[in-house]
Amino acid sequence: MNETSPVLNVTIDGIQVSVPKGATILEAAERVGVVIPRYCYHPGLSAPAVCRMCLVEVDGAPKPLPSCVQQVQDGMVVHTASAEARKARRAAVEFLLVNHPLDCPICDAAGQCELQDYAFETGQLRTRNIEPKAVLGRDKLTPDILYFADRCVLCTRCVRFMDEIAQEPVLQVIQRGHKGYIDTMTDELFEHPFSMNIVDVCPVGALVNEDFLFKPRAWDLDQTPSICPGCSQGCNVLLGTKENRVLRAKPRPNNEVNSYWMCDHGRQALVNWGAGDRIEVPMIRESGRLAPTDWPQALAALSRTLEARPAGARAIVSAGASNESLYIARKLADKVGFKGGVFRVETGPEAGLPGFPKLRLRAERAPNVRGAELLGFRRSADVLEAIRGHKGVLIVLEDALIDAPEDFGVELEMFIYVGTHMSPAARRADIILPSTTFAEAEGSFTNVEGRVQRFAQALHPPGLARPLWLTGSTALAGLGAGAVYRTAAAAFDALVGEFGEFQGLSYAKLGLGGASVAEAESSAANVS
Amino acid sequence: MSESIHPAVCSAQPSQRADKNPDAPLFEGAYKERFDHILSRYPNKRAALLPVLNMAQELRGWLSPATITRVAELLELTPDYVRSVASFYTMFQLRPVGRHLIQVCIGIGCDLCGAEEVVEDLLEATGTRIGETSRDGKYTVVEVECLGACGFPTVVQVNDKVYENVKPEDVEGLMKELD
Repeated sequence: MNETSPVLNVTIDGIQVSVPKGATILEAAERVGVVIPRYCYHPGLSAPAVCRMCLVEVDGAPKPLPSCVQQVQDGMVVHTASAEARKARRAAVEFLLVNHPLDCPICDAAGQCELQDYAFETGQLRTRNIEPKAVLGRDKLTPDILYFADRCVLCTRCVRFMDEIAQEPVLQVIQRGHKGYIDTMTDELFEHPFSMNIVDVCPVGALVNEDFLFKPRAWDLDQTPSICPGCSQGCNVLLGTKENRVLRAKPRPNNEVNSYWMCDHGRQALVNWGAGDRIEVPMIRESGRLAPTDWPQALAALSRTLEARPAGARAIVSAGASNESLYIARKLADKVGFKGGVFRVETGPEAGLPGFPKLRLRAERAPNVRGAELLGFRRSADVLEAIRGHKGVLIVLEDALIDAPEDFGVELEMFIYVGTHMSPAARRADIILPSTTFAEAEGSFTNVEGRVQRFAQALHPPGLARPLWLTGSTALAGLGAGAVYRTAAAAFDALVGEFGEFQGLSYAKLGLGGASVAEAESSAANVS
Repeated sequence: MSESIHPAVCSAQPSQRADKNPDAPLFEGAYKERFDHILSRYPNKRAALLPVLNMAQELRGWLSPATITRVAELLELTPDYVRSVASFYTMFQLRPVGRHLIQVCIGIGCDLCGAEEVVEDLLEATGTRIGETSRDGKYTVVEVECLGACGFPTVVQVNDKVYENVKPEDVEGLMKELD
């Protein structure tokens, strides 16, 4: 939308709004907070105007117009809730319900279903239909997606996602009218790395994720804005949690990163994130055995080690840690004077989405590779090789070293492990401090394009686990090196002050949409 | 196919020029000429889909997945799309049908004038149920909505030929004619 494009004035439900030429009635209405019911319209897809749900009354028009495709004209007066508009919508809902099985009690979409919402809003109490309902049955489309044809409203959002965004048009509407359903050409299941988005775009319960089926009810989930840690893309997500477990992840719209989409790899990685053999209490090795202790004792032990300023200490960090944690790790490193600090990045096959090229499942399967690099850590193909033969103090931060040999660390003078999960290598540590996963504390990641994005806390950390930035800054404060950062915001804002790359950013400024390091750099350059 | 055929009617040739053969080669010889004629009528290949499917069905009797895939290749479309279009129209057969596809009108006029009995007699004569194909592969009886000849109930269409004023007692003669 540039400033030279002509501006049209329209009235929507009595509210004046100015929109650029080419905007549809539906878009104009959204600007003033009027949400027009819709099924086939999706902001990320083309609008075919097939569902007839978004019909509105326009003064001077002979009949209701589909607002998702009808472009506004200057002086247009639109009524979205007039008797005529409501009558049109009521008729659309009545037709959709003719053969709908009304199986909401066993439908996964119940509580987040647009058919439920609009039937409740505009529908009628009893059906006028006395004929038996047509029954179409169900089908399996991908290894994880079930299709319930009877619930389908044939909005074709899934068809258009595969056609326009995935650009692999495997889904089509077969038959017509009440016999219509969505299907692929063959009986074989199709696979696509972004297939699960068709479940998200489905406005009803026709397409459901089998992995999520019958687990929780939608209204029992807590939704927390977060960032997918599955790769360095940093897709904005909403974590659906219940009883302190992540049960699903849905994309959170952000046009700079992932639009309305995310990949299946990320979703699957996020379910039950952080499960496993968690470390819940600090532990210190006493006469050869690990003994649980409390935080004051553990931090005192850590301080004693750091105070000795062990020359030639080494560190392994993680590209899965937040900017704030890595910043504190950097400060620890500088304080103790140990060399560098390495991290590794797991890699996997890439996958793209031709309809939205900005979004890729990146080969680097860690969320904060860029952040770790900006904060002065070195990426190493083999972190174990990088510290081979090291005999002094080793500090391992949030890398469980699951591939380390059985006798890892026997040569080390002192082995400090701050992490989330127990592993055979971690059991060799002299001091073990429990840490949190990204879902258990707030913080931020820097994605592959240098966009710094915040995530909120979705889960309670287990036991006494604390975020690394809190543990580290407490230890540093004990050594008289800086303050204790009690919030991620405080740690991030301190980071901005020390690292020029982040200049111009602040935790508050990042908001929920994030901000780019590059942008901050260029704006900082303009200022100076 | 001679050049005398205007492109506008090349897809509306009476069917059953060739015996329907599910393995017949698609669009060779005269049919290739017709195919090219059809393409010449449209701005792009996709627009030619319906007449091309018509011709494919004329040749092979029904549109098998293999036929659909081949048509998709020829018109540079995806098989899924071609199936979607073919399934929209009831006159495209997506399952094999008998050599004689007997369509009985059950529109309001024919229904009031006894179409039901005609259907029953036809089913008995062919030994099938609605939509099924007789064991010898000869007959398929289906009910259709209006055939557009409401003045002459009951209307029965066998392949491309329309029979008017069919009464239950005419069924025997009709069957003889088809044999």
